[in-house]
Amino acid sequence: MTATITPQVTSPKPDAAPRPAPKRTFRQRLNRWDVKYSPYAYVAPFFILFGLVGLFPLGYTFVVSLNNWNLLTGPGEWVGLGNFAAELSDPFFWNSLFNTVSIFFLSAVPQLIAAVFIAAVLDQNLRAKTFWRMSVLIPYVVTPVAVTLIFSSAFSEKYGLINNILEAVNLDPVMWKTDVFPSHIAIATMVNWRWTGYNALILLAAMQAVPRDIHESAALDGAGQFRRFFSITLPSIRPTMIFVIITATIGGLQIFTEPKLFNPTVSTPGGNDRQYQTTVLYLWDLAFNRQSFGKASAVAWLLFLLIVLFGVLNFLISRRIASTEARVVKRRSAKALARSRAEAELTSGFVPGVEPQLADHPHHTEENR
Amino acid sequence: MKLSRRTTAATAAALAAIALGAAGCSASGSAAGTADDPITLTVTTFGTMGLDDLYTEYESENPGIKIEATNIDTGGNAKTDWQTKQAAGAGLPDVQAVEEGWLSAVMQVSDQFTDLSDYGAKDISDQWVDWKVKQATDSNGRIIGYGTDIGPEGLCYNSTLFAEAGLPTDRDEVAALFGGDDATWADYFALGEKYHAATGKAWYDQSGFIWNAMVNQQPEGYYTSDGELNIEDNSDLKELWGELAGGAAAGLSSGQTQWDWGKGKAFTDGSFATFVCPGWMLGVVKGQVEAAGGDATTGWDFANVFPGGPANWGGTFLTVPTQSKHPKEAAALAEWLTEAKQQAAAFTVAGTFPSNIEAQSDPAVTGTNDLATFFNDAPLGTILAERSKGVVAQYKGPDDSVIQEQVFGPSALSLDSGTDGQAAWDNAIGLLDQLVVNK
Repeated sequence: MTATITPQVTSPKPDAAPRPAPKRTFRQRLNRWDVKYSPYAYVAPFFILFGLVGLFPLGYTFVVSLNNWNLLTGPGEWVGLGNFAAELSDPFFWNSLFNTVSIFFLSAVPQLIAAVFIAAVLDQNLRAKTFWRMSVLIPYVVTPVAVTLIFSSAFSEKYGLINNILEAVNLDPVMWKTDVFPSHIAIATMVNWRWTGYNALILLAAMQAVPRDIHESAALDGAGQFRRFFSITLPSIRPTMIFVIITATIGGLQIFTEPKLFNPTVSTPGGNDRQYQTTVLYLWDLAFNRQSFGKASAVAWLLFLLIVLFGVLNFLISRRIASTEARVVKRRSAKALARSRAEAELTSGFVPGVEPQLADHPHHTEENR
Repeated sequence: MKLSRRTTAATAAALAAIALGAAGCSASGSAAGTADDPITLTVTTFGTMGLDDLYTEYESENPGIKIEATNIDTGGNAKTDWQTKQAAGAGLPDVQAVEEGWLSAVMQVSDQFTDLSDYGAKDISDQWVDWKVKQATDSNGRIIGYGTDIGPEGLCYNSTLFAEAGLPTDRDEVAALFGGDDATWADYFALGEKYHAATGKAWYDQSGFIWNAMVNQQPEGYYTSDGELNIEDNSDLKELWGELAGGAAAGLSSGQTQWDWGKGKAFTDGSFATFVCPGWMLGVVKGQVEAAGGDATTGWDFANVFPGGPANWGGTFLTVPTQSKHPKEAAALAEWLTEAKQQAAAFTVAGTFPSNIEAQSDPAVTGTNDLATFFNDAPLGTILAERSKGVVAQYKGPDDSVIQEQVFGPSALSLDSGTDGQAAWDNAIGLLDQLVVNK
């Protein structure tokens, strides 16, 4: 409010006799600058770094994507959005998207289910708690390259451990590196192996935050283990689940190391018939094998847009879930208020502060989440 | 114009390099190395080049030089490595080994490589076979690389398996069996069918290498000598493809994963009996067999014969990128490494057959060594010298390696898993249109 009044007060200033500005000492001015500008200096490192390694490459990639740019010889002719059109009609681009999404689902879904289960087990009163918790994190410590080398050898078609076992029990060997679906499963297995423990620990932290007394009262009411897990634990960790799902989505869409090194001897990255060539791998192939830097940049941008799209979708879904929760809380607190109001009316007949408190409530719950 | 273009590219690439954390810094420039303050030269090679002992020797002869060597597992990965660093404008070593297969990509940016004529290349150019020097000369007449090895191909065969199938085992008899100087692919496949009938086993490891040899031995491969793409209506290639498809259909291919071979097991468990062997492949075979626990008694031998006539596969050059801060010292090292004595020494270790004429008749090349012992005391050097007669390296176009790996690679592999020859060829032509013609 003061902001709207101030200009009116100062507006006649040009007409009025110029009042000499109060002379400030250098110290005072320094002090004013400090208050006014130094906060910007404090936040600057992030923005400078982001601009340098985030925003600028993003923009530059877009410029590259508008040219027929060769990796070695540099920019060619300007083609406008031609690279984007070419990629959107390229079957290999769509193939890579299909592979990415397929591997993503094969990894994300079992991984989250397993992570929730492991977290639930770790949430029990186990002996040597820290030992078990650290154990599930160990796969995450191993570098993806090492994971891939080990799994790639195990999934080898002719001499691999898994096919040897299958043959030992008289089953047909699976063509892990040739067939589309088995190769996706193999790659998803590596992702799951590495990430399940990590997600389990995050979910465990959320589970630990669920108040024990709710569990206890439910137990007193006769709710069994499973009932308590599905009716208390799962709903309580929903916000954390959403976080885990979003990070898994972003990671899943950018998968590169596992398919790149799954069969390093193959001449086409991602399998001879591109059976498991993910989008980032396709992008890499375009740039570094086929020297088409322009098209690779276009693919990079398309992938960026796709991830933004997935991010927005995730945001909408999570907001929906959050608002359902808020509605429930609101309904509950409204009931409680009605009760307290009735009590108050009994005592005085006048209830101050009830209305604003009611209006404040949604905001309040939002903050508490 | 050209300069500014390069600067923008370099800026972009430098950023990429920072992002990747891959920006390699070379040693600070100093006038001349001394024992106390040596110049560090970085060298990047690939595969099995047999230079490791030579570095130590050079260092002790030149106290002012220290060598930091990096060896990359395959030529394909080395190409990616070079290309990334070339595009980034930083990180290339002082001496970069370049494979013949991607020399054409290097020639696109030949001005990014030091003209070795400035350091006396023209005076010594007659020490190599003439076509090796021609390959390393760009369109402006600058010599950008010193030749190390060439890849004349002979036939590796497993004498134990040959004996089991009732075939001759003596290498001269084997050479005669395949047809000697007139050996054809038709003979090779016919013998394979005989072997397959006798043993039920495969004849060769996989179709990819056979196809590679077939293409490499043509006077013109995927491109004409004028640099025109020539595949779709190339009846020679198509006919050879048909023979290859027939072989795979008859069960002659073991369908191995190339460059993997089950970590060498396929070389020791009798999966296949013959193998195409350019000189440098001999070291690879030995390494694979030993990795799987085999040794000389596994039975591999080397015959002075090759189906379809003389063939060359690969061969390497040592170049000095202009990124090098010590081009003079780097050129001197490259020159020394490719001298007759050193090429002969590398041959004894890795079987890389010298491009240096004098080295080809060096006792170290014609005599016996570890590698020869492994191959049942075969006179490897003498055989390879024979095999290199009549070889002329064909012109490799700018997309040669993409065609070899991504166009025909999948199709050759699909032959091994039972795809019909015509369908596989059509598939390759489809890929060619998509990856090369309409790129």
